[in-house]
Amino acid sequence: MAAHAKQAQQLARQLFRLSLADGAVSPAKVTGVLEYVEKHRPANPIMVLKAYERLIATELGRSQALVEHAGAVSEDVLHSIAAVLGKRYGRTLTATTRANPALIAGLRVRVGDDVYESSVAGQLASLAASV
Amino acid sequence: MSTVLEQIEQQIAKLSSHAVKKNTGNIRTIADGVAKIDGLSDVMYNEMVSFPGGAIGIALNLEEDEVGCVILGDVSQLKEGDEVTTTGRLLSVPVGKALLGRAVDALGNPVDGKGPIDSKETYPVEKIAPGIIVRKSVTQPLFTGIMAIDSMIPIGRGQRELIIGDRGTGKTTIAIDTIINQAKANQVGLASGDPKFRPVYSIYVAIGQKNSNIVRTISALEAAGALQYTIIVAAPAADNPANQYLAPYSGAAMGEWFMENGLDALIVYDDLSKHAVAYRQISLILKRPSGREAYPGDVFYLHSRLLERSARLDGKGSLTALPIIETLAGDVSAYIPTNVISITDGQIFLETDHFNQCIRPAVSVGLSVSRVGSSAQIKVTKQVGGKLKGELAQFRELAAFAQFGSDLDAKTKGQLERGARIVELFKQPAFSPVPIELQVAILFAMQKNFFDAIDTKKVVAAAAAMKEFFTTRKDTLLTEIRTKAALDKDLEAKLQAACDEWKSGYTA
Ligand SMILES: Nc1ncnc2c1ncn2[C@@H]1O[C@H](COP(=O)(O)OP(=O)(O)OP(=O)(O)O)[C@@H](O)[C@H]1O
Ligand SMILES: [Mg+2]
Repeated sequence: MAAHAKQAQQLARQLFRLSLADGAVSPAKVTGVLEYVEKHRPANPIMVLKAYERLIATELGRSQALVEHAGAVSEDVLHSIAAVLGKRYGRTLTATTRANPALIAGLRVRVGDDVYESSVAGQLASLAASV
Repeated sequence: MSTVLEQIEQQIAKLSSHAVKKNTGNIRTIADGVAKIDGLSDVMYNEMVSFPGGAIGIALNLEEDEVGCVILGDVSQLKEGDEVTTTGRLLSVPVGKALLGRAVDALGNPVDGKGPIDSKETYPVEKIAPGIIVRKSVTQPLFTGIMAIDSMIPIGRGQRELIIGDRGTGKTTIAIDTIINQAKANQVGLASGDPKFRPVYSIYVAIGQKNSNIVRTISALEAAGALQYTIIVAAPAADNPANQYLAPYSGAAMGEWFMENGLDALIVYDDLSKHAVAYRQISLILKRPSGREAYPGDVFYLHSRLLERSARLDGKGSLTALPIIETLAGDVSAYIPTNVISITDGQIFLETDHFNQCIRPAVSVGLSVSRVGSSAQIKVTKQVGGKLKGELAQFRELAAFAQFGSDLDAKTKGQLERGARIVELFKQPAFSPVPIELQVAILFAMQKNFFDAIDTKKVVAAAAAMKEFFTTRKDTLLTEIRTKAALDKDLEAKLQAACDEWKSGYTA
């Protein structure tokens, strides 16, 4: 079991490296990889593809600024967030938005596994954790 | 163009000064108190991570695409996909004198129902041991109150002395006796107002023990009035392995506080065999490669980094460690015992045969050593007990031969009888440590042949009577022994006179 998982993980990592062009995920290459997997059917294809998906998703997440908001967010603010964070991470980020009323007010920005929180809900949570 | 950007930058800076950055991950799998986590790309080794519901984890395995965490606390609420965040802090526990008299868990939370602990400071649980430069050699004694140990296997402050033996041979009792003896000495020393007196505070770390045993220990300490100088760190058998793994390091952090603040402390790890087992369990779940006896490769480092934290620091205090190891059928060459023997400054070996023959404490004088303690031994103990170890060794040798023949010359017979009396003299019931000055008086009487006329079977009773005599009638003499710490002509004469007085009044 463990050995299978390891092999699948290794293969997924190889496939992932093949999916990059200039350090970013290339849709064309991903299509190529998927075709290859379809044709050659490695052992445990589901396991391989799941691991592959996770790697791609992580990579995509790294070049995306997911902005969750409670109120309205203007284009300007979105752009500036993407620009500032892009500078911090040293890569171009594209900002996408998602409404999240649970934040009560304010913003939460997620880049990869980093989360920048400036929402009332977040402040309440950190307050709750510190008392 | 650039000015516009700058303007926006400023605005963002204002905004993001309110924003809190967190690094997050999601639980991929969770089992047996260990979680595998996706994400957490910023996590540090040994960093605290927080789980929903207030549980805390420690990042122990940092791998390419996942992080392995042990979880402290309640795991029943956690499930796959839950979000986990880094805290940017290393695990720390409360330290200070406010913990004295209390029982806490591996995280320093009170478990004795006596309310919250008012401690102002915390110390990181994992700390790099003091380097070579700041250490000082061991020169101050730490008395266990056990005659066989203090006279023949002396321990010094800052030393690490292993207590090793099979199950149920009195290992815990020796450690508890030592703690009680510190408390007794503290009471006397602090009351005397001597500015040079250095009290010893104790920390007792219970790892993987039954709750009933821990309760018994606490009540023994309480009954002896020692609890007020003691911190109990409890990670019982029913606790998850992560807490058991952590408890000794938490205890060490509490001990370091005393050492760093110029005080002396004693820490007992009861026991490191169970600690190694808890660590093996964690490592197997984390899928670390395992080696001899299925222990992970770094099990040596597990204990070396712990015991290296005991030291005597230049210009500060000291931390003395009494780790305990349980052996199987007296086998000291098993993996964990050999490791710990090689890290410590000596060992007190307890023999099952002795214990079963009611020679208790079951200290094997031949197999026990203290590598640094003799430089800490006070002069008076050397004067009255210097020859004991040799005499006892000779006795054991002769006793082995004597089993075969009955025709023994008078000299051999005499040596055998003397040896048998020394063995009797060193018998001591549990939880009754003997102050060093009283030990000196008894050993002096032994040296001056006051016990020779007494039947071997009655030596224990005679010694008890003598202890009684000295404590009730010769208090000033005992104080003089303690403060002088060396025998001169005058003191020797007084001791001789006191022993004569005892002899004339004693009938076996
Ligand atoms: N000096 C002593 N005189 C009389 N009884 C003793 C003495 N030392 C220990 N005992 C008794 O022996 C038993 C075992 O002692 P203890 O619990 O200290 O051993 P242990 O080696 O720590 O055991 P375990 O392996 O279970 O931890 C206890 O019931 C204790 O009261
Ligand atoms: Mg024990």
